[in-house]
Amino acid sequence: MSVTYLDAINAALREEMDRDPNVFILGEDVGVMGGAFGATKGLIERFGANRVIDSPLAEGIIVSASIGAAMSGLRPVAEIQFVDFITPAMDAITQQAARLRYRSGGSQTCPLTVRICYGGGTGGGLYHSQTNTTWFAHEPGLVVVAPATTSDAKGMLKASIRQDDPVLYFEHKKLYRLPAVKEDLPKGEDTVADLFHCAIRRPGEDATIVTYGYMLQIALQAAEKVSEESGAKVEVIDLRVLNPLDHETILESVSRTGRLCIVQEDHRTLGIGSEIAATVAERAFDCLDAPIVRVAAPDVPAIPAAEVLENFYMPNVEKVVDALHRVLQY
Amino acid sequence: MATKVKEQVANTGSENNHANPLIGNDKLKQMYVTMLQCRLLEERARNLKKQARFKGHYYAAVGQEAVAVGAGIDLRPEDTVAPSHRDFILNWIKGVPLTAMMSQLYGRSTSPDKGRSAPAHSGYASLNIITPASTIAAQLCIGTGIALANQMKKNDNVVVAFSGEGSTSLGFWHEALNFAGVRNLPIVFVCQNNLWAESVSVKLQTKVEDMSLKAIGYGFPGITVDGNDVIAMYRVAQEAIARARSGGGPTLIEAKTYRWYGHSEIDPAKYRAAEELEEWKAKDPIAAMERYLTGKNLFSEDWKQQIASEFQKKLDAAIEVAEKAPPPEPIECLDYVYSFDIRDRELNRTTYSPQF
Repeated sequence: MSVTYLDAINAALREEMDRDPNVFILGEDVGVMGGAFGATKGLIERFGANRVIDSPLAEGIIVSASIGAAMSGLRPVAEIQFVDFITPAMDAITQQAARLRYRSGGSQTCPLTVRICYGGGTGGGLYHSQTNTTWFAHEPGLVVVAPATTSDAKGMLKASIRQDDPVLYFEHKKLYRLPAVKEDLPKGEDTVADLFHCAIRRPGEDATIVTYGYMLQIALQAAEKVSEESGAKVEVIDLRVLNPLDHETILESVSRTGRLCIVQEDHRTLGIGSEIAATVAERAFDCLDAPIVRVAAPDVPAIPAAEVLENFYMPNVEKVVDALHRVLQY
Repeated sequence: MATKVKEQVANTGSENNHANPLIGNDKLKQMYVTMLQCRLLEERARNLKKQARFKGHYYAAVGQEAVAVGAGIDLRPEDTVAPSHRDFILNWIKGVPLTAMMSQLYGRSTSPDKGRSAPAHSGYASLNIITPASTIAAQLCIGTGIALANQMKKNDNVVVAFSGEGSTSLGFWHEALNFAGVRNLPIVFVCQNNLWAESVSVKLQTKVEDMSLKAIGYGFPGITVDGNDVIAMYRVAQEAIARARSGGGPTLIEAKTYRWYGHSEIDPAKYRAAEELEEWKAKDPIAAMERYLTGKNLFSEDWKQQIASEFQKKLDAAIEVAEKAPPPEPIECLDYVYSFDIRDRELNRTTYSPQF
């Protein structure tokens, strides 16, 4: 049966909670309501209010309490309803979770998972649309993942829960019910995905696109369009993991194609694309046949609510096609 | 020795029967000895710092020993201590070996965190002491998570989370107390009100006189206690710990005390009046306990000297071990970032070329 990205998240949570009694959920509206988007639907009925905990409206304590519980051997899955509201938990995530193993010389660890809903394109406005993945990709000690497909949504969440590190799991709200990413997932199979490597979603030899999350859909459409228009074969890499970055897959691809276009929904300055571009410039300079191009949101504070402004802000197929033409025709 | 305890609120249904069972002589002496050892340990650490025998900052709790000893002395190894930046002595109270503590000061490879955290910021995993961060009040929030885990595992271990009065100004302090209250967690918050948050007076920190009043807003008992009276501190802490162990939920203890020295060893604390310091030095918790024990015929100067000289010898030996221990290898800077190794990633970066 074909399932949505959201179904996959729900199934991963249910399966991990069935498998391991130490797994529990903590967050706003995760219990009785089943989550703002329904990701935790049915779980409180199955596992009870002691394992699916409706927290006070306080992101700082959601993450902090999860850190403490993880130190005690439990496997908490905290939920941040919108990444726009993650700032009260910044100390907990960056100063505590990211640093605990390091500052204790490996003697204290907090293997928690934080599920974080992010992303624009839904008319959510300034505070329900942000993509602040880069804040966390900058922090050593955190594993930051952003699944772009339904099978990854499930497999990477299961892997995150089992990973002995703090994992931030970014789920794009536009993917939740998107028909284009529905997949047939094998039932009853314990599929745990890799948490360390990029995936090549479309092979090619003329240029490389590197992207993640919902932008993978945009990139694939743009690659197809360019192929139809000019015959150019564009390779599309899904980052999957934003921290630590899998440099080798990207560098190996660029060493074959010689051309790189990075597509990110986050705004341009010091985004993930900056790091990827710098890495390619440092380590594969001789391979480049054209300047690296980034397609990113503009450097404005957040996504405006008015539709025309949001459309201007968001990367889209036309912008990526334009960028690919520039890269290919240099 | 008067026990000045003000019970602000008790609306959790737990009983405060004022039984105050007599504390045995052995326990009284143990508390005195531990306070004295903490004092000697910290004065020695301060001297080592002044002599530049180790680097980094040291945050002494000299003058405040009764709080940590009263709250920490009867904790089990399984109980968690969530220390603040000024709670190095809790390591000794909970049973951390002196060699580990001195290695921590020196940042040696043999230190509990292998040379990472600041000298006074020591944790100890096997005794459930959280390695503290310098970000104030974070440890209270993490402590609630450990208390939540204890509650979920249905064991009777408790968490004692320490902070200063300055921490009560932070949002995190309130998130921790609110969460502990709403989940009825087995945790005791010990607010060490030493009147000064670095250079800022408590009068600029909060409008209330007693920090314990703040517990009312979270629905559990708050108690203010003379933090320089180790017996009062012990009684209040034991009641709170017993309540937490038996499922009665959290307690906020405000211990009024005073730090004799600056925020750290580089702070001459000129913002405080000399008279204030003298007034508090006259309330030295160790001297007060000596007077109390003398009244019970449990104290002599000879006994004190014997304890002191034995402990100094142990300190000498631990310092020697620490000084002889090697520093970490430089490359160890790359370790303990993740559960997996990043040395190869950082050191061996492949360069690509068209011939690749």
